[in-house]
Amino acid sequence: MPERSEFLLEIGCEEIPAGWLGGLGEQLRERFAEAASREQLAPSEIRALWTPRRLVLAAHLLSRQADREEKIWGPSLKVAKDASGKWSGAAQGFSRKVGVAPDGLGQGRKDEAGEDYLLFVKQVAGRGAAEVLPAILTSLLRGLSFPKRMSWDAWLDDGKGSFPFGRPIRWLLALLEGQVLPLVIHEQEDGAQGGVAVTAGAESRGHRFLPRGRRPVPFAVSSLGDLQQRLREHFVILDPEERAARIEQGLQVAAAGDLLHDPSGLAEEWRDLVEYPTVVSGRIPEEFRSLPAEVLETVLVHHQKYVPIEGEGREVVRFAAITNGDGSNDAEIVRGMERVVVARLRDAAFFFEEDRKRPLAERVAELAGVTFHQGLGTYEAKAQRLVRLVDTIGETLGLLTKPERESARQAALLAKADLTTLMVREFPELQGVMGGIYLRAEGSYWETVAGAVQWHYHPLSIEEGAPPQGRLAGSDSTVFAAVSVADKLDTLAGYFGLGLTPTGSSDPYGLRRAAQGVVRAILDFWVADVNERRPSLRALAAEAVAGYGGALKRPAPQLTEELAGFLFDRLRYVLVSRGFPADEVEAVLGAREPDALDDPMECLDRLRALHQVRAEVPHDFEQLAVAFKRAKNIVGEGPHPAADPALFEKDAERELFETVRKLESVNGGYEARLRSLATLGGPVDRFFTDVLVMAEDPKLRANRLGLLSPALALFYRIADISKLGG
Amino acid sequence: MNLQDVIFALGKYWADRGCLIHQPWDAEVGAGTMHPETFLRVLGPAPWRVAYVQPSRRPADGRYGENPNRLYKHHQFQVILKPVPSGIQDLYLDSLRALGIDPAAHDVRFEEDNWESPTLGAWGIGWQVLLDGQEITQFTYFQQAGGVDLSPISAELTYGLERIAMYLQDVDNVFRLRWSQDRLYREVRHEEEYQLSRYSFELADVGLFRQLFDSALAEGWRVLAAEGGRTLLAAYDWCLKSSHAFNVLDARGAISVSQRAGMILGIRKLACAIASRYVGGEPPAEAAHA
Repeated sequence: MPERSEFLLEIGCEEIPAGWLGGLGEQLRERFAEAASREQLAPSEIRALWTPRRLVLAAHLLSRQADREEKIWGPSLKVAKDASGKWSGAAQGFSRKVGVAPDGLGQGRKDEAGEDYLLFVKQVAGRGAAEVLPAILTSLLRGLSFPKRMSWDAWLDDGKGSFPFGRPIRWLLALLEGQVLPLVIHEQEDGAQGGVAVTAGAESRGHRFLPRGRRPVPFAVSSLGDLQQRLREHFVILDPEERAARIEQGLQVAAAGDLLHDPSGLAEEWRDLVEYPTVVSGRIPEEFRSLPAEVLETVLVHHQKYVPIEGEGREVVRFAAITNGDGSNDAEIVRGMERVVVARLRDAAFFFEEDRKRPLAERVAELAGVTFHQGLGTYEAKAQRLVRLVDTIGETLGLLTKPERESARQAALLAKADLTTLMVREFPELQGVMGGIYLRAEGSYWETVAGAVQWHYHPLSIEEGAPPQGRLAGSDSTVFAAVSVADKLDTLAGYFGLGLTPTGSSDPYGLRRAAQGVVRAILDFWVADVNERRPSLRALAAEAVAGYGGALKRPAPQLTEELAGFLFDRLRYVLVSRGFPADEVEAVLGAREPDALDDPMECLDRLRALHQVRAEVPHDFEQLAVAFKRAKNIVGEGPHPAADPALFEKDAERELFETVRKLESVNGGYEARLRSLATLGGPVDRFFTDVLVMAEDPKLRANRLGLLSPALALFYRIADISKLGG
Repeated sequence: MNLQDVIFALGKYWADRGCLIHQPWDAEVGAGTMHPETFLRVLGPAPWRVAYVQPSRRPADGRYGENPNRLYKHHQFQVILKPVPSGIQDLYLDSLRALGIDPAAHDVRFEEDNWESPTLGAWGIGWQVLLDGQEITQFTYFQQAGGVDLSPISAELTYGLERIAMYLQDVDNVFRLRWSQDRLYREVRHEEEYQLSRYSFELADVGLFRQLFDSALAEGWRVLAAEGGRTLLAAYDWCLKSSHAFNVLDARGAISVSQRAGMILGIRKLACAIASRYVGGEPPAEAAHA
């Protein structure tokens, strides 16, 4: 046997969901690397490859573990011999344990300074990889985690019994240097181990159906290279990267110069849906090309997983689809696909026609028949609350101009009306979108209103750049944000009012996501320059709670407080997920004035500035953080009278006083102010070195506290700098 | 291949593989899964292989016979294999070949689609089988039925007969399907589609169906608790009736979001009690004050 051997494992499964495969490959690689290293097999060139029907793992390993010595320590010599120099009971015991007479044992020190101990050096012969691997493989199979597991009446003989997996395993290929490794999965019978279900062998299997005209039969392989080669002959491309490249090529051919529109990354999902990807394309009949793009996209992308192809006028003229075939019967396959697409589009065209027979506004009254939530009334009641809430946001809180208010009012009233349309009943994912489309088609509303209705369920994702980023500008964006925030806060206030707050990992109503949507709508979509009023989460929460009048079970102030706290946590989450270091976020949220909840937009400005300036002068901030932690502890909560320069004893006091006074008068943006404040570190440091703050003389002590306090206050307006550095 | 030939071919194919050919359950059901030959037989350890056609009523899907793809009542061909043979997928694919579909000449794929029936307290893991982009079969490894963990597992194959026949006959309107050599689907079923759609969308008496729903559940619980036992089949029939009443009310738009959850739970509790009785346990305590 060579010094290193090739190990190869193929787990042949029934079709594993495409979305799981990449993660499973990674798990296989990592878990195997860990286990093989622990077993001294020095794994290298570990690769995981897959198709929907197989998970393959290959690696190079030591053929045999190195021999090694294992030190077993006995009692110390002091204990090992009695007063007369004879071996004590402890020594005899150790001797029996290791099976060597006391006189035959060695002696040694555990460390240089220590005393001598009895020592037995055990010679451990390395085991062959073939001997070690079966246990590794069994625990590898057992340990894979899946988004959802299933029982398939299988049993693993590892002491844990019943063996659920992602999908049933139908064959196993397990080789070390071409030799089959023993690995068995049993059947489970009456809750106990039954007969053999699958035994590892040297055979793999090809494509389910190809090549045409031949019944597929298993074939023997000897190595990873061999496996890939034989699979290719049997119409299976094992390497996902290679399938991706083949798909990319196929897509370009299918597009034939037209534009592929693949916003949700279908091509990537296709890669793991098939073993032998062949891209085909079909036609969209002319009569459906005038359907709204969103409707076409829903049918093609979401229901059929086809990629729309746009013609010159950007209308969808064709679609590309993935097949698991050799391309020899594409025409017929495409005809079947077109038939499915046409049936769906025909439905959609009918709904589109029917829905537009009445103006959307007429449907608001029908919302009285659609329940929002049992304890919170109908969508009609919700629509009225939304109108009131955007009114308050615009007028009472003074956050919207008059035309913005008018648009927001209309949008709030109409936002939910499309819930009664046939199209949304058929394609619920088009809620909001259809409302916007129908309003535009009516032609009697501003685009601002249609846009706000269309997007008001967004932002759904906390990622910057997620829709509707870049699609709305100026007032359109602000009105959208107002309606979006009103909708979500109304839901939050209502659910909190019923006591349906999320706990732990359970958030069945998606309230965390709604609150993140509120935060994002304000941070990313509310357009307001520094001179304009900006939304306060606290005030908005209070208004949303007030919208329910007395209909909620719990007192309004308590609800508002709870909701504000929830929003504060979500604000923190959004900021951290933007990539800002947690300590910077804490520092900014910890500033006393202004309160982040009262102006989250401003809070983000401060955070950006802190992040920027700290990156410029990291050492200054390190020093500042230490100094301010100390200062904060000493100064405590209490207000301190201003320092009297006449009582200064040391230069360091005068220096700090002068610096603070100078910095207090610095104006400008947060970055400029932070840059100047960064210079405070030296004076504060010197102050602590030269001056004893807690002087015995109470007057001196008060004066020194009064000197530190404004230095802290300088920062508190931007961030609690003591929170930096953990 | 005519629709009835598809049924014959599937019946012959599965009978040859050891399936008992049963008949449709003679009560309104929404799916072949609700037939006691599936719902009850998948429970417990006894092996079972059965196949049958089940006309399945879904009032909310009725379209007065105007939609070429959607029906108040469609037909499922249902197969249950317990325990699951290890070559189950190949067995299934051979059944397509028996219908003249050569998988190598088409795009046949198993795409993740897990099945769940909240009213039956049942769920499973599996796929929808796509034939050139059209879903033709739901393939499920049952994991739980009536709230009972299953062992051994059963495989359930549910063929959509109309869809498969439409594919085989290359028609894009269900009413143009040839049911037999000389009769179209339209002749056999169109009037029924119209009348039953009209009934469930316009005429069904909401008050009566609410009452039916409540009475059916109450009767189910009553007979289940009857002294002397051996009543669970009768109780299950009432459970099915409550489910159909629910579907009619749903089609009439008479169920609010919050009511819906409560009604589904009501049916599920009875279904779970029946399942638990079937496997030898006692019905749960809710039985007393249902």
